[in-house]
Amino acid sequence: ITASSPDTDLPTVSGLRKMGVNFTVSNKDTVKSSDVLFLAVKPPIIPFILEEVGPDIEPRHIVVSCAAGVTISSIEKKLSTFCPTPKVIRCMTNTPVIVREGATVYATGTHADVEDGKLLEQLMASVGFCTEVEEDLIDAVTGLSGSGPAYAFTALDALADGGVKMGLPRRLAVRLGAQALLGAAKMLLESEQHPGQLKDNVCSPGGATIHALHFLESGGFRSLLINAVEASCIRTRELQHLADQEKISPAAIKKTLLDKVKLESPSLSMASASKVSLFTNKSPSSKKN
Amino acid sequence: GKVPASSIIASAPSEKNLDAWRESGCRTTHCNLEVLQESTLVFLATKPHVLPGVLQEIRPAVGPHHVVVSLAAGVTLQTLQWLLPAGTKVLRLMPNLPCVVQAGAMVFTRGSGAGDEEAALLKSLLSSCGLCEEVPESYINIHTGLSGSGVAYVYLFAEALAEGAVKMGMPGGLASRIAAQTLLGAAKMMLESGEHPAKLRGDVCTPGGTTIHALHQLEKGALRATVMNAVEAATNRACDMAED
Repeated sequence: ITASSPDTDLPTVSGLRKMGVNFTVSNKDTVKSSDVLFLAVKPPIIPFILEEVGPDIEPRHIVVSCAAGVTISSIEKKLSTFCPTPKVIRCMTNTPVIVREGATVYATGTHADVEDGKLLEQLMASVGFCTEVEEDLIDAVTGLSGSGPAYAFTALDALADGGVKMGLPRRLAVRLGAQALLGAAKMLLESEQHPGQLKDNVCSPGGATIHALHFLESGGFRSLLINAVEASCIRTRELQHLADQEKISPAAIKKTLLDKVKLESPSLSMASASKVSLFTNKSPSSKKN
Repeated sequence: GKVPASSIIASAPSEKNLDAWRESGCRTTHCNLEVLQESTLVFLATKPHVLPGVLQEIRPAVGPHHVVVSLAAGVTLQTLQWLLPAGTKVLRLMPNLPCVVQAGAMVFTRGSGAGDEEAALLKSLLSSCGLCEEVPESYINIHTGLSGSGVAYVYLFAEALAEGAVKMGMPGGLASRIAAQTLLGAAKMMLESGEHPAKLRGDVCTPGGTTIHALHQLEKGALRATVMNAVEAATNRACDMAED
């Protein structure tokens, strides 16, 4: 594994170095010595990276982009000036890859073979669940599992508040809340049963749980979650359209960003996938495995 | 359908209530005591406030062979047993309106004098009118909230469905019939498949399709909570009325 970043001050750089990853400040070097390239930069930086490494892209390379809202066709278009049949795969993952419980989907480009997709799938399956989808579903995936951890953190914060209100110490409340969601998710993933049935299994007649659920229903809990997934998906599409239409001029990006192409672990750059900020303090980077 | 009409005798103070029975071929009378004398299985189907008086009246004629089934809402087994001779086989039954089309939902509960035989007899007879289950007495008011009153909730929902269709351009009569058939069909699938309604609901929802868009509207309106509120309100009211 080789990782590259011109700026060596970033904490992610030392993190990667500690992992024993080969490190370089030259994106071009990493392209030359690798077969699978992960572009882990912020979406507006993608065009510049592609310009920079384009000349060194060869038929053997598989270019994997995790950039939210950046379409396969836009990447292929950019690279085709350098290489006639670039292999491009687009993926969308989420932050829990950090703990090997990520949710990743990928879509293969025009010239990527089945084996290329399978290779990526194998790689990403080592950090969680990974499956192939049609590219037009990636926005929906962003809304659900890309942003999903944020919904869960919000829920957990509130559940912990509930625990604290009823007398639990905060740390214990957080720990129990997280474990409850973890356990429930695990039960669902391991069971053939519908979540509605699993919910019923917890609700003894006239008991505590059904009383609590009634409150959730009264608050429109379900529709709030549907709204959230919808909003995130729609916003992802909006941002993609904005990106497609506007050409981001070099002048609009901080000079320091352009000059230095930085290294960032893919999981951290995924944290912003659902809230794509076009201008960010964190330097983008290009990394390969 | 399980008992020949000639074996049934009905009693009521006024003629008009008896016409329907006579038309089915049953015997009729104005004398409650006569019913007790001629029958083993006796159904008490009076209004709740009238029942105590009726029980006083028939008490002398009630014997150990009788099986007395009360349909009076809110009149507990305790009350029934207190007003009848000790050890009388008493049961309480709570039906719902669609019994009249043999698609009823009924629950019954047995008093201390009633045994397995009586329960089995009742269940077997009533199954010809729909679903019939034995329950603890505490479920009877819940059944009222769920299914006794529940029939009205369904009518309300059907009306709303039809109105939606009318708004979108369909004639009312047709919309109403289709609404009813939709409810009937969905209920039939639920009963025959035994699958969880959440699963059946998911089966109808193609990704990004019409159904999931519509369901989102229902969730936004907190329909689930509202329905739970309705069942709760009706059940609580049944409990309150029983105490009166």
